[in-house]
Amino acid sequence: MEKDGLELEITELRLGLPGRDVAKKRGFTEMIMTSSGSNSDQCESGVVSSGGEVEKVNDAPAAKSQVVGWPPVCSYRRKNSSKEASKTKVGLGYVKVSMDGVPYLRKMDLGSSQGYDDLAFALDKLFGFRGIGVALKDGDNCEYVTIYEDKDGDWMLAGDVPWGMFIESCKRLRIMKRSDATGFGLQPRGVDE
Amino acid sequence: MNYFPDEVIEHVFDSIDSHRDRNSISLVCKSWHKIERCSRRTVFIGNCYAINPERLIGRFPCLRSLTLKGKPHFADFNLVPHEWGGFVHPWIDALARARVGLEELRLKRMVVSDESLELLSRSFVNFKSLVLVSCDGFTTDGLASIAANCRHLRELDLQENEIDDHRGQWLNCFPDTCTTLTLLNFACLKGETNLAALERLVARSPNLKSLKLNRAVPLDALTRLMSCAPQLVDLGVGSYENEPDPESFVKLMAAIKKCTSLRSLSGFLEVAPRCLPAFYPICQNLISLNLSYAAEIQGNHLIKLIQLCKRLQRLWILDSIGDKGLEVVATTCKELQELRVFPSDLHGEEDYNAAVTEVGLVAISAGCPKLHSILYFCKQMTNAALITVAQNCPNFIRFRLAILEPNKPDHLTSQSLDEGFGAIVQACKGLKRLSVSGLLTDKFFLYIGMYGEKLEMLSIAFAGDTDKGMLYVLNGCKKMRKLEIRDSPFGDAALLTDVGKYKTMRSLWMSSCEVTLGGCKRLAQNAPWLNVEIINENENNRNGEDEREKVDKLYLYRTVVGTRKDAPPYVRIL
Repeated sequence: MEKDGLELEITELRLGLPGRDVAKKRGFTEMIMTSSGSNSDQCESGVVSSGGEVEKVNDAPAAKSQVVGWPPVCSYRRKNSSKEASKTKVGLGYVKVSMDGVPYLRKMDLGSSQGYDDLAFALDKLFGFRGIGVALKDGDNCEYVTIYEDKDGDWMLAGDVPWGMFIESCKRLRIMKRSDATGFGLQPRGVDE
Repeated sequence: MNYFPDEVIEHVFDSIDSHRDRNSISLVCKSWHKIERCSRRTVFIGNCYAINPERLIGRFPCLRSLTLKGKPHFADFNLVPHEWGGFVHPWIDALARARVGLEELRLKRMVVSDESLELLSRSFVNFKSLVLVSCDGFTTDGLASIAANCRHLRELDLQENEIDDHRGQWLNCFPDTCTTLTLLNFACLKGETNLAALERLVARSPNLKSLKLNRAVPLDALTRLMSCAPQLVDLGVGSYENEPDPESFVKLMAAIKKCTSLRSLSGFLEVAPRCLPAFYPICQNLISLNLSYAAEIQGNHLIKLIQLCKRLQRLWILDSIGDKGLEVVATTCKELQELRVFPSDLHGEEDYNAAVTEVGLVAISAGCPKLHSILYFCKQMTNAALITVAQNCPNFIRFRLAILEPNKPDHLTSQSLDEGFGAIVQACKGLKRLSVSGLLTDKFFLYIGMYGEKLEMLSIAFAGDTDKGMLYVLNGCKKMRKLEIRDSPFGDAALLTDVGKYKTMRSLWMSSCEVTLGGCKRLAQNAPWLNVEIINENENNRNGEDEREKVDKLYLYRTVVGTRKDAPPYVRIL
């Protein structure tokens, strides 16, 4: 396995910190020192977590490196510690909704809608304005577009992804005038996995 | 030889609750074994794969209460893949078919499905208590079955489970005739709650002592709930978010004042700290306070609250309390027995000035003479501090210290923390559970082996130099039951030196250590009464036979029922 040369070793996904030698176990600090001492700006290594996701190891100082399962806080607590929860706030369903031209924000529970049609109806009710529903269903013909901020902080056009995926990632909604939308910096369709 | 009729002996045995004592009794003679097993009501199974349901039922046909634990402890930290095992369904199925009169089921780290819950709810007429801790695999539909079908339900306790919330009407499924609830904890549910159904349920449950709400229960609902349940002893506040108008605040305060039996407070999952004064009147009665999910309660709000809790025995808090806050705890909470300080910033976002250090720990040890259990996440530690703590508090039973940065030495002397932790183990003769962190050499393990006479559970990470370390522990700690090690340089020599030792232990976990496939195979050959599991998520090398290959995750445990049949492909049982 080690015969293919250095490059292949770097890209191979393994459990353990970057630079971990199969033959020799090094202490934690030694590993971090070598990886941050070297030209680590260019190379990224993956640390495979048990969930199958790849977590990138920070090239920042040792203290901030993310080691799987350390500090030993149980995963339920990690997901529900308030900062994390308020960052993503998924599951509860309450998101802020703003509409251009309306001076105050509203809050609505995404979870109480069953799909985009429901959402359209709920938004109409919320703002007492019947155009929003049309915006969601028949995007191109309407004065307004409905966009949402996702977990990564990007603004996306509502309606592209399956409903389940949408409510998992939607942090807030905004109903904006189509004329303002051009040049706003929406992510093009098909970007997220 | 029995000098008494069986009924008398059984009557004597009835007063013995501890399962360990009961196990001992059953070893005395055949006759006692038989009497004991037929009268045993409560069984605790620490590893669900150590035995199977059929043998359990065969031995204890009159079982009423069963506790089962599934995944190994390190599963909490994402070190065990999702589908590893720990399925409860075969147990419920077997108990149902054997018509066992099950009344209580307590599960920890097990996979529970809606089908299992449905089967449970329909199979046991007298079912009274369901406690699920850190489980997953089910939804609120399963809860609906329990609510609907368990006519005599007293306790439904959901602690930190991953539950898919279908936002359905599970609370509505409790029939109007259900009035027996004593405990209802649904704090971990993430979705909307049918408030009207909840209020009706609480109103018709006069024996309800413990109620823990989820985020979706707002302040006005809380007021109504507390008004119709002034008998509450244990309350988990859900959302405390929106600042109420003065009139609502007065109503809330009045409702809280009536709850003179309230002893335990938790939750505050979303908080507007200015509402906390509503709880001031009952603080003097509190013996347990869990604010570990209430990140918004900080600074003066937090201090003011704690200063009123003079009778506190148990405190779970975030490290945003700071050393100064812990000093307040030390001067106020003289009855404190258990303290847990959790990290508030897990993502390295802030500079971490708010975190706690050795200063806070020393203050607590000096101020709280009754302290016996601690879990402490901190950013730094010193030997001097640990030695002081050991002198102040020789009564620790559980001592868990997690320094946020792995391998960190004494921050004043840059030495290892061997002496500090050694002092803890030496002074605390009754120490049963220990978790360590920071820079530690083989010497620390020598101390454990020398002084850890009562030690039953030990968690090691990034520690030690050679196999000797692990050997000190295996040789010295006669009472060791659960040993879990990660990222430490222990290999085959340590693993194989005393195979018989594993007969006296529940389990051993080793991940990212130096053990090889060959070593594990040899162990499995010499110990057929062990299940030696190799967990390897790397698809490329799953069935490789290179014996020098390092094993990423090893989990071994004693069992009387051989290899389990429900392991996923990435688990290889030797």
